[in-house]
This record gives sequence, C-alpha cells and structure tokens, in this order.
Amino acid sequence: MDQRRYMLWLGFALPTAYKRQQALLEAYGGDAACLFTDAANGRLPAAGKREAAAYAELRQKANEAYIDACLEYLKKRRIAAVLPVDENYPALLKEIYRPPTVLYVRGTLPKNLPLPIAMIGSRHCSDYGTQVALRLSEQLSGQGACVVSGLAYGIDCACAQGALYAAGSAFPTVAVLGSGVDVIYPQENHKIYQEICERGAVVSEFLPGTRPLASHFPQRNRIISGMSRGVVVIEASLRSGTSITVDCALEQGRDVFALPGRVTDLMSEGTNKMIADGIAKPIFSAADILEEYGVRPRREAPAKQVDETGLSFEQTLVVRLLRVCERSFDELCEMTGLDVVKINYALTELEFSGIIKQSSGRVYSL
Amino acid sequence: MLSKIESYGLNGLQGFGVQVEVDVSGGLPAYDTVGLPDAAVRESRERVRAAIRNSGFTYPMQRVTINLAPADLKKEGSIYDLPIAIGILTAMGQVPAQEAAGYVFLGELALDGGVRGIAGILPMLISAGEAGARQAMLPAENAGEASFIAGVKTVAIDSLGQAVRILRGEEPAKACERAPWQSAAPHPGMDFADIKGQQGAKRAAEVAAAGGHNLLLVGTPGSGKTMLARRIPSILPTLSFEEALEITKIHSIVGAVKGANTIATERPFRAPHHTASTVSLVGGGSKALPGEVSLAHYGVLFLDELPEFPKEAIEALRQPLEDGTVTITRASSRATYPADFMLIAAMNPCPCGNFGSRLSRCRCAPAQINRYRGKISGPMLDRVDLHVEMSEVGYGDIVSKSTGESSTVIRARVNAARELQRRRYANEGILFNAQLSGKQIRRFCRIDAQGEALLKRAFDALKLSARAYDRIMKVSRTIADLEGSEFILAQHISEAVQYRSLDQKYWGGGSGGK
Repeated sequence: MDQRRYMLWLGFALPTAYKRQQALLEAYGGDAACLFTDAANGRLPAAGKREAAAYAELRQKANEAYIDACLEYLKKRRIAAVLPVDENYPALLKEIYRPPTVLYVRGTLPKNLPLPIAMIGSRHCSDYGTQVALRLSEQLSGQGACVVSGLAYGIDCACAQGALYAAGSAFPTVAVLGSGVDVIYPQENHKIYQEICERGAVVSEFLPGTRPLASHFPQRNRIISGMSRGVVVIEASLRSGTSITVDCALEQGRDVFALPGRVTDLMSEGTNKMIADGIAKPIFSAADILEEYGVRPRREAPAKQVDETGLSFEQTLVVRLLRVCERSFDELCEMTGLDVVKINYALTELEFSGIIKQSSGRVYSL
Repeated sequence: MLSKIESYGLNGLQGFGVQVEVDVSGGLPAYDTVGLPDAAVRESRERVRAAIRNSGFTYPMQRVTINLAPADLKKEGSIYDLPIAIGILTAMGQVPAQEAAGYVFLGELALDGGVRGIAGILPMLISAGEAGARQAMLPAENAGEASFIAGVKTVAIDSLGQAVRILRGEEPAKACERAPWQSAAPHPGMDFADIKGQQGAKRAAEVAAAGGHNLLLVGTPGSGKTMLARRIPSILPTLSFEEALEITKIHSIVGAVKGANTIATERPFRAPHHTASTVSLVGGGSKALPGEVSLAHYGVLFLDELPEFPKEAIEALRQPLEDGTVTITRASSRATYPADFMLIAAMNPCPCGNFGSRLSRCRCAPAQINRYRGKISGPMLDRVDLHVEMSEVGYGDIVSKSTGESSTVIRARVNAARELQRRRYANEGILFNAQLSGKQIRRFCRIDAQGEALLKRAFDALKLSARAYDRIMKVSRTIADLEGSEFILAQHISEAVQYRSLDQKYWGGGSGGK
C-alpha cells in the first residue's frame, strides 16, 4: 500500500497532536496503511477516554475521498507535503526523537540541504544584534551554508534577510514557521517570505491555515535545531524563547554557538552565560562556525575601508571617529568641537556618498 | 429725567460704542434693563443700587429704565455697572450731565462702591479712540494696560465716589501715566545656554526662529524637547511695541492681562495639554472667544506629545497655520482673530518612547509604531518645515557637556536674518521665508550648479517628494540668510536636507505617503 498517502492522511486527520501521531505510528511499527485500515474499521488499540474522541474523529476521516480532498487542497495552495520517506525530507531531522510526520513546504526543499546552520535570537534585539545577524548570515550563506531561521520579528528576520543578500548562494535559507506555511506572521515580513519561497523554502509541520499560537513555537523550535548541524544564538536575554531551542539542540546533539556581547547588555546576558557555562562556543566571525564543519572559509573582507582621499578635513575627522564605533550627532559635535553648520555639511556629503549611514536617534555609523 | 452715557462693548477684537440711556421717572419703584443684556448685565441692578447707597448718594425711589443701545447687539459682562450708576446719578442731577458726556465709562462695581477691573479694556479703548473718543474713565486695576493707548486720556478710578468727585470738579482728572515699555530680555532661567549638548537641535531652533518655520522635535523621553521648546521665545526676534499691543489685545479679551495689568513684554508661549479640545485650540464657545492659536499670536504654540492630541484638533490647526488668522462663526456671534504663531511640536519616536534608543529598550510592536506615527497626517507634516531628531541624553552627558551660546547671542543673529528677509520681501507682502509661495521660491531661492547637483543626489538618496523640495528650499534660504549670504550655497542645502531626513525614516518617503 502507498505508505506516503496514509502518512499524509494521518497528518491531516490529527492536525494538532504530533505526539499522538507518533505514538500511533510507533504502535503500528511505522505502517501507516495498516493504521488507516484499522481506523476505518474501528479497530484501533484500546485507549482511554481522552483518546476515544480522537479515534472517533480518525475513524470518520478514514476514507479515500478525504485523502483526495486533502491532496487537492494542498495542490490548490501550491504547498508540497514532504514525508520522512521522501528523499528531500531533511536527513538530520529524521534523527530526532519523534520527528514531524509531515512537513508542509512552500518553495523547494533540495535533496541534501547544504550545511544547514540555524540562527536564532530575541525578537527584541539591539542594533548591534541586528547588524551582526545580517552580516553573519550573509557570510554563511555566501560560503555555501544554508541559514535556518524562524522568520519572526527581530533577529530571525535579520538572519533571513542577510542570507538573501548573498546573491551567489544557490539555496540561501529555510524558514521554519510556527503557523501554517501559508500564514505570514508578522505581516511585515511579507516581502522576505516571498523571496524565501522563490530562492529557498518555507516549511512548517502545522496544517496550512493554522494561526500562530504561542504554544506552537516551542514545538517549532525543535525542528529549527533538528534540521541543522549547529545553532547560532545571536542575542538572548537570560529567560527567553531561545533557550528552548538551545535545550532542543543540546538534546539532539547539535553544536551551539553564541555571539558574545557587552556585559551591560540585557540582550547579551543569555549568550554570555551560555559561553561561560561551556554550552556554547563563542564566535567572532563566520569562520569560527565554518571551520567546525571543515569548510575552509574564504578570506573575509576586512572592515569597511574608506578611501580618505578627496574627503575634506571635517569629513575625514568624522570618518575616523566613526571607525571606532557609532556616534550620535551630539557626540560628534562634542568630540570634534566643530561648528554645527560644518558638521551638518560633512555628514550630508558623507551620507550621500554612501560612506556613512544614519539611524534612529540621529546616530551615525560607517 | 433722562441721561445718556457712553460706554463700549466687544465683538471679537472689534469694539463697538454702547450708549447707556437711563430714564428715571415717576411711578412705582422699579428697575428694568433692555437692549439684549445677558445675565451679568441684568444682575448689575443689585450692584448698582448698593454701590450708589454705600457711596453716600441717593438711589431714586422711582421707576428706573435702562436701555443699552444699539438694542440689537448682545451686551455681555459686568462692564456696564459704572456707566449705569453714573447714568442714574446724572439723571437725578447728582452729577453734571455736561461733564459726564465727555467720557467713555467702563467698570464693574463692588457693593461698597469700589470699582473692579474688567477684561477686554485694550481692544475696546483702541476702537473707542479710533471712533473719536477723547477721555475714558476706567478701573484703576486696568490703568497700566490702558495707558498705552494713544489719543485717549484715561482716568483711573478706585471708587464710584471718586468718579463723581472728578465729574463734579472736586478732584482733578489725572490721566494715567504711560509706563515705559521695553521688550523684556530673555529670562535668566530660560536661556539657551542652560541646554547642555543638543547642538544639532539648538541650531535647528535657531533656523526655525530666523525664518519663522514650524518645528517638529522627535526624541526619546528626557532628551530635552520641552526644555528646548520653552526657550525658543527667547531667541525669537525682539518684540516690537505694535506686536506687543496686538498680543495684549487678544489676551485682554480672555482677561489674561487682568492681574498683570500691563502690555506684554515678551512673546507668548502657549503649551496646552494634549487633552485640549478643538474649540480650546482654535477658539469658539458661545461668545466666539479666541483659542490657543490666537493666544499664541506672534509667539510659540507648543504641542507636547503631538500624537496624543485628538486627531481632529491637530487637523483643525492646518487652516490657521496656512492663513495666520482664524474666523470663528457661532449662531450668535462671529469673530476673526489673528493667529500668526510658530508651531513647535514634540513627539516620541514610538508609543513607549525608546525606539532607536541606545540606553533602553523599545517594547512596541512595529504595527503599534506605525499607528502612532500615522496619527500625524501628511498635510499636517507638510506645514512643518523642520523635522529634528534629538540626541539621547545619558547621565554622563548631563555632567560633562558644554553649554554653548546664550539666547542673546543667538537672537542677534536671528534679528539680522529677519531684517534681511524683511527688506527682500518688502514688495511681496510677506515677512519671512516660511511664508514663501511656490512661485516666490523659484524667484528668491536661486542655487548654483554645485547646489543643484547636491539637491539631485539628496532626492535620489532620500527619495524625497516634490513637496519636500519646497521646504528644503525655504529652509536653505533661511540658513543662507543667517550667514548673510545672498546666494544659496551647497553647504546651506546640505544642512537643510538634514532637517528633512526624518521624512523617509519615519514616514517612509514622501510625507504624504500613508
């Protein structure tokens, strides 16, 4: 019998209870077809009160017409269903305890994911976190890795964006959602979502159309770490959702990397502690991650070099100050001791030449 | 026996002559007031009777009829107490009618015969003087304010008794002495030198003051938005006497000058709370009284926490911002008030205030932030030429930063720039750069090739809208004026561009885009 067809049926018929799906499958030794026949005939193994309702539902849905309707439904929404028996089911994901029965996919999941590395972090992130996430993920995917992320606000979003920046990468990123694969949450990520569908894949174990409930996210996190070889934590406070993913990663035997931050930064407390506890390897560049997997990193471009020839005295002064770290307009006034008028002039010129950029709070950086 | 006494009433800023006619004739003792009196005027009967008796005069035990002419205009307030009392005494022959006819009388009576101050003296007397009145008798409390009116001899009195003695010739009629007037120097506690750091925002304030531009300050809580705004009147051009008179006229109507009893010596700074209603901002009510925009005439209207204001109230500001006047029409009255003010608005970058902060964390969802910023409409933003982001201030900054120039130094530059503009636009009917129309911009804001190239780059880099172009030109003109430069150079434009860069960052491109 077509195991694939009945596995899919199981995913659809018991949408929210992946643990029960797995338990049933295990009881049948992975034979979904046999499970289907028994469900249709009402011969499922004896069970308690709570299971009885689910079994009744299973029995009701155990007919071929229902399966056809499900297949039609997926086809209409351009969603593919990938099962553990399929070639392109992520190999690493099969190894974890109770992997998802079905992965719903938009975009294309290749046969072998090229070096999948998960990047996770807080939704409330600092500018520093965003910047590093963008750069790191661009470098990783630019050198052949595939960035796995959650496509939420903050770090997730920056990681996906950074990976997409790597123009030469064949398969830059995979996004794992905590909602149905066709439910974009938050809406602001619409553009990135589309681009990932075109160049990578968006996957979810939840039925298409499922709302993003808070309870879905811990379940989703086990897939993020499960399908990756290593997990990179960009920013995390002491108690945050990222620690769930890190715990999953450790259980699944994945490597954990953490980006060190300033000791005063709340958002780096979590990552710093992981390093201190010996859970995570501190990373300073993409090379620190890649070398773990035997990828010889390309020589990275050194920090942004600014050609100072042709710059005025004021412009040079500003550039040299910004080379150390970002500075607010006020700090620049204070440090240079120059007239406000002259600084304004210099900043505008530098901004338009693309040498510096301005962010909120009138803070300038190279 | 009949008497006629001159008094005045007020409709908006315009005074109108009121003739108080008193008839005392035989019949049962009675007291009637006709001529559209309001409750306060009708109640004058009790004050007048008590005041006459307590001043030692005789109140007629006859029928008293009072007519306030013209009979079709509403008469409001307690200002007619004194003319009515004088009218009754004249009708009874206790005061020589010939003498009483030479004065305009205004004032409220106390039961003991004392005279109390009233609101609106200044606009009424100005109108009276224009209409040909030569002498006025008014409460001593209002003497300071009234003494500045040229052409009208103002006699201040404390009591009804004193008024009668003057009219009988028992006491000389002494005209109020005109107090010397001088525009006030900036308050010592309200100086630009008090502000530490924030050089960028201070410079923007200087530009705004020099060109009469409106200003929007965006910054985290505690970055000094309010502190800066409060000090802006101190760098606005020196107040002239004519302006002071105009300001006092408006404030006089709402009785704001009553206690101070003098002419304004500094520009008004109005900071209504964000729960303010539309009517309280633009004016209105059954009497069509001036609102905050008019009270801020020739001064500053500061709206702190701009997005917290009712949307309707913010939008209502658009017309006065454009025209410099506001006309209020109500069923019973209609009035036009000047409203030529500089708008300074302050807002946080997001509802919690910490967006973009390096010291604390923003807890707002992006959609929340968009909604917050969306409360300021595109057309409203279009009327604000300068958008400025304040730098964040940490503790270290407070103790270490240098202070900078004092208000006096900045004001001198502002004055010079305004003088340049006044001369340039002498034939244009405008006073400063902010008032330039599109056509005038093309005529007066010429830029060189280098500036043109810079502007083009600015448009490409910041994706500015066509409206933003006009505003950048106007601000560039002001910056050039501050340097005394006839031409707008690249450096002037480059600074002006800095004051628009928020458009793109906060409101995503052209300010209309929402």
